[in-house]
Amino acid sequence: MEMIFFRIALAAYFVSTAGYISSLFVGRVRVAKLSMWVFSLAFALHTVCIVIQWTGAASTPSANIYGSLSFTAWAISGAYLAFQTKTKTRVLGAFVSPAVLVMMIAASAGLMGGVSIPPTLRGPWVPVHVVLLLTGGALFALACLAGTMYLLQDNLIKSKKVRGFSRLLPSLRDLDRINHICIIWGFPLLTIGIIAGSIWARTVWGDSWHWDPKQIFTAISWVIYAALVHQRMVMGWKGRKAALLSIIAFAGLFFAFIGVNVFFVTIHNF
Amino acid sequence: MSIALLGINHRSAPLSIRERLSISHGEEGKILEALKNIPHVREVMYLSTCNRAEVLVNMKPADAVVEELKAFITARGNLSPEEMERCLYVYRDEDAVRHLFRVASSLDSMIMGEPQILGQVKDAYRLCVRQKTSGVILNKLLHHAFSVAKRVRTETAIANNAVSVSFAAVKLAKKIFGTLDKKKVLLVGAGEMAQLAARHLMDNGVDRIIFTNRTYENAVKLANNFHGFPIEFELLEDTLGDVDIVISSTGSPDCIISADMITTALRRRKNRLMFLVDVAVPRDIDPDAGKIDNVYLYNIDDLQGVVDENMESRLNEAREAESIIDEEVARFSEWFATLEVVPTIVDLKTKTEDIVRGEMKRSHSWMKNLDGEERENIEILVNSIVNKILHDPVVGLKRESRDGEADPYVAAVKKLFRLE
Repeated sequence: MEMIFFRIALAAYFVSTAGYISSLFVGRVRVAKLSMWVFSLAFALHTVCIVIQWTGAASTPSANIYGSLSFTAWAISGAYLAFQTKTKTRVLGAFVSPAVLVMMIAASAGLMGGVSIPPTLRGPWVPVHVVLLLTGGALFALACLAGTMYLLQDNLIKSKKVRGFSRLLPSLRDLDRINHICIIWGFPLLTIGIIAGSIWARTVWGDSWHWDPKQIFTAISWVIYAALVHQRMVMGWKGRKAALLSIIAFAGLFFAFIGVNVFFVTIHNF
Repeated sequence: MSIALLGINHRSAPLSIRERLSISHGEEGKILEALKNIPHVREVMYLSTCNRAEVLVNMKPADAVVEELKAFITARGNLSPEEMERCLYVYRDEDAVRHLFRVASSLDSMIMGEPQILGQVKDAYRLCVRQKTSGVILNKLLHHAFSVAKRVRTETAIANNAVSVSFAAVKLAKKIFGTLDKKKVLLVGAGEMAQLAARHLMDNGVDRIIFTNRTYENAVKLANNFHGFPIEFELLEDTLGDVDIVISSTGSPDCIISADMITTALRRRKNRLMFLVDVAVPRDIDPDAGKIDNVYLYNIDDLQGVVDENMESRLNEAREAESIIDEEVARFSEWFATLEVVPTIVDLKTKTEDIVRGEMKRSHSWMKNLDGEERENIEILVNSIVNKILHDPVVGLKRESRDGEADPYVAAVKKLFRLE
């Protein structure tokens, strides 16, 4: 049942991606607006899909990497749409929508209905751990995206190339604000998510910290994010430096999420 | 029935002649009145801006009327015959429609794409509505012109790019700050360009403008003009930390704002972005200030570069706009062409209605014996027969008129039905 919604949502994400990207070239607001509505529709369908998954309890987002991808894509979409209503930054969709689409396609490769959950992943802390980290990750992904766009726009304005591509990008202030809000909200989620994970690790592995590569990279990213939050809140960091740091931190987090499984042996291999 | 447009604009006439034809306030009504009184002029509109003076009329199609209009304009502007020949353009029918559409869409403006002209055309139209010098044709034509202008604006990017230095500065500020609400501006010096930029910034909602000048009185004067705040020149350095945008245009031979001053200011304002505009020659702001993070510095050449590029892309957009205009002129002409057969159609209908009414009257003697419903039914029957018979000729006339070949048919209908 949820797979039907998943597939229609996937198709809608595809359409919105095509729309958003073509809107970059056509340069007409109407195309971007339409794409935004298609994207919202996709998000609604995706929401239904995820709700069914949860209530059905056959497979929570924590069950496997595919479920996680789908959930992260959903969280990114939701966060983007929330910003969309606050700031008029439709062009962000031209970057968010393709990213979500790619994650959805990757998720569709393995998301084939119910998956049985291995015994070590049963317990109240697991969904808390996974959902918090994935939502936090989604926010950080958006922060990274906004940061990248900020650097681009900053560079274009500094080098006096304010036509063409620069016209499509949101204002520096909007981008900085998106980056700021995503970091400020993402950080507590990341922190609590890690704590939840370590509590649960204690119950199954008998130890809350394992010097596992995945843990190490997550911890490194956490430290960078902590520094970034501190600089932003206390030192009044804004703009370029903050954007740059949020990109570096996200690279670490991304590596912890996907890269570690490829390059290292990890006990955290789910 | 024919549309004509006579006028002068910034391309055809120098300012010295244009200003002679501009209307002073309160005079508009009288001019419309005088124009309307010219024989065979049925509707008239007078458009006067600093770059153009144009008369738009719906009149009987005769060259004599055009000559009368020319004479009127010549007399009003006190033009010599030679000046009139050189400066005055006359457009008839389709060309007049096209010209009006181009004017309303700002394609004929000195700065192509500038937004004021549409408002000026609307004002001119409103005035002639109030003076009752507009009728069916001008109403339709002007409303069409407004919708064309809107189409051009939404479907092309002609108005998207800033083509004046001061406006380019505002656009840049928006690119940096998003909105200009609650932004503070510091204006150093009293250059004309800086004042223009200040005006634009005010229109875009900046919170306050602070003025400073080596001569304090000048700062006070400007502050009064713009509802801003004057400060002593010595306070410049301390104020930098409080403002988001700095526009400098002093005649000073050296830099008056150094990179160090900006670094300090930035620290005081906790790294919030700063936009520095240096329109002075020689420059007022140390170019190194532009290398500081979160600071954006544009000098006059940078702004001019932006404007030049925009001008170029505007010309491309103009080509697109012209094709929209062509399309719309064709649409209007189609409607206009059907008008020449309208009087004939009206006459034809009036005549048949008269016949029906007469015959009904004659049959009154026997019809009075019928009850009301039966009488009504007979009336409906008669009318529907008449309408059925007229339907094809009427549609046929309209169709021919769209192709512009209705004249022989109109003549035939008039002759056969004795409509004269």
